[in-house]
Amino acid sequence: MRRDAVQPNIVLASLFLATLVAWLGLDAVSVAPNRIVPGQGVDVLGVAGWGGMAVSISPLLVALGLAWRPTPDRLRWSTGLVVLMLSALPVWLMVAAAFTVDPDMPQARMGIGGGVWMALFLLLLALIELRTRLTMPRARGWALLLVPLASLAACLSFGLEPLALRQEYQGRSEAFVSAIAEHLLLVGVAVCLSLLLGVGLAMAMRHWPRAQRVGFAILNFLQTIPSLALFGLLLAPLAWLSSRFDWLAAFGVSGIGWAPALLALIGYSLLPMVRNTYVALDEVDLDVIEAARGMGMSRGQVFRQVRLPLALPLILEGIRITTVQAIGLTAVAALIGAGGLGTFIFQGLGQAAMDMVLLGALPILAMALVADALLGALTDLLRPGGAT
Amino acid sequence: MIELIHVTKRFGDAVAVDDISLSVGKGELCVLVGTSGCGKSTTLRMINRLIEHSDGEIHLDGQPVREFREEVLRRRIGYAIQSTGLFPHWTVERNIGLVPRLLKWPANRVRERVEELMALLELSMTEFADKYPSQLSGGQAQRVGVARALAADPEILLMDEPFGALDPITRESLQDELARLQARLHKTIVFVTHDMDEALRLADRLVVMNQGRIVQQGHPIELLRAPADAFVESLLGGEDRGLKEAALLPVSERMSPLGPGPLAEERIARDATLREALSVMLWRHVEHLAVVDDDEVPIGELSLRRLVGARDHDA
Repeated sequence: MRRDAVQPNIVLASLFLATLVAWLGLDAVSVAPNRIVPGQGVDVLGVAGWGGMAVSISPLLVALGLAWRPTPDRLRWSTGLVVLMLSALPVWLMVAAAFTVDPDMPQARMGIGGGVWMALFLLLLALIELRTRLTMPRARGWALLLVPLASLAACLSFGLEPLALRQEYQGRSEAFVSAIAEHLLLVGVAVCLSLLLGVGLAMAMRHWPRAQRVGFAILNFLQTIPSLALFGLLLAPLAWLSSRFDWLAAFGVSGIGWAPALLALIGYSLLPMVRNTYVALDEVDLDVIEAARGMGMSRGQVFRQVRLPLALPLILEGIRITTVQAIGLTAVAALIGAGGLGTFIFQGLGQAAMDMVLLGALPILAMALVADALLGALTDLLRPGGAT
Repeated sequence: MIELIHVTKRFGDAVAVDDISLSVGKGELCVLVGTSGCGKSTTLRMINRLIEHSDGEIHLDGQPVREFREEVLRRRIGYAIQSTGLFPHWTVERNIGLVPRLLKWPANRVRERVEELMALLELSMTEFADKYPSQLSGGQAQRVGVARALAADPEILLMDEPFGALDPITRESLQDELARLQARLHKTIVFVTHDMDEALRLADRLVVMNQGRIVQQGHPIELLRAPADAFVESLLGGEDRGLKEAALLPVSERMSPLGPGPLAEERIARDATLREALSVMLWRHVEHLAVVDDDEVPIGELSLRRLVGARDHDA
């Protein structure tokens, strides 16, 4: 009998083990009487006692056991457990808030501790591993995440008032929404403009090979300027321009604000965009182009029906890189008054309020992940017949 | 009918094709053969103007190719190349229907034509129509390539080493298939290859090129019997030439009528080649074969002496 036909899944086992260690070893939450005082860490025992701890780690132990002989069925059970644990994290925070925060102190607040963050991170990794093992379609993997997200939304609407993040949000919910809108608008406009410019530049470079070397040299150089320095460099010329031309000033262009931010974002976005577009268009199989011409397709038909569609996955890859990069860079643009989520990060840093930093950083992270996933899925969709 | 009159192609200072004249008659399969870089591919591509010729004139049915709009010219000429050049993002059906669609045929007629061609090339419609090129074997992809070249029923077909990348067995079966198609369709075909066996097998007219010039042209048998120079001779295989010629001649050419004596035991079909007959003799250690027709009825005899073409003084 082949008893050892199924090997233990080392990846899952170590992820679950690490989760267990982090959960028990690190603080579950931190509690502070007000916004200024640093929080006091509370571990799992402190939150829920021995009984609560036993309940909290039981699904983890089961998952660890299942990883030992990972048959497909057991992997499916593990997936269910991981989703359950992820969904239970917000509930756990509610429990922690109830036990640790004094209801008589309205200023008291609870921060999320290392144990919970680590558990979140490691369990998400476990979910990725499970998705790969079970060869789950990308869409279903994302659908699984809807359950924990729904749980989080429910917990936020029914409780979790002491959660520091929530308190930071409550004070500036309008500013938060408009910051997200500004952030998305800046990124969206920058990516769209650099896409148009980038495709135009790439096509011009293909047409005039001499322009290619100069073009890439300039774009490479742009990329090496640190973002803060670039903002600084743009300040003087833009201020001068807006003072010379009234219509520019009327349009809102000035040395600080959205104009230099947008210019800098486009400058940084151009290199990945142009490079990917150029390479994508250039690397289409010459035999295919030759055949297309030989069949009697006109220049325009060859480009629209053959070259562009074959280049599209790589061009989209460029858009993906550019978008993710721009989402991150826009955070820095808050320094020159361009708005966006970076505002919270820098304000929070100034006030030593880490929860406020998180209020800015977490949505940026989420945005980058979602943009990455959506554009990645689109790329897969446009790659027909398993052709690369 | 295709006519090249004193055609020259220069790339900068280099002369790729040097003052060649060639005329390919209607329904003729003309094979350009030569070592790589001899200008055969360039010659082919000047016909559909993928490369513009520098000097001389190229006529299609008496009209200079330069008088056509490039696209119009190319849509009239079928084109198949070595790597197939199939569009990887299109299904087999869409690939084959390309030229008819460029010619603005109505959709149902395109569809009918694709079905017809897939049947002609023995590609099952249900199995292959919706597949992408990456899902095909080399031989299947090449059939699709040929089907695409034939799609708009062009008078003229240009084929640039179409079977060059295939394994020997697939290559031979596709050569047979092309010969079969040509016997039915009578296209005017210009076929480029560096494989002399392929050239001998397919050609009505064999054109040997070297360093941009035509060294010799004619029926394969003529070239085999009287190579113009040492280059043609070595290209034709030197000492192997006898076997190559034997592979072109049918048994019926050398057989003698049935004699009064007993019939030889080993048999050979009337339309087998002399090369096959020789192989049977070598293998069976015999000097006489009975020649049979399609119904296995003996119709003559073939002796080793007659096979090798010795005069029959004593027969």
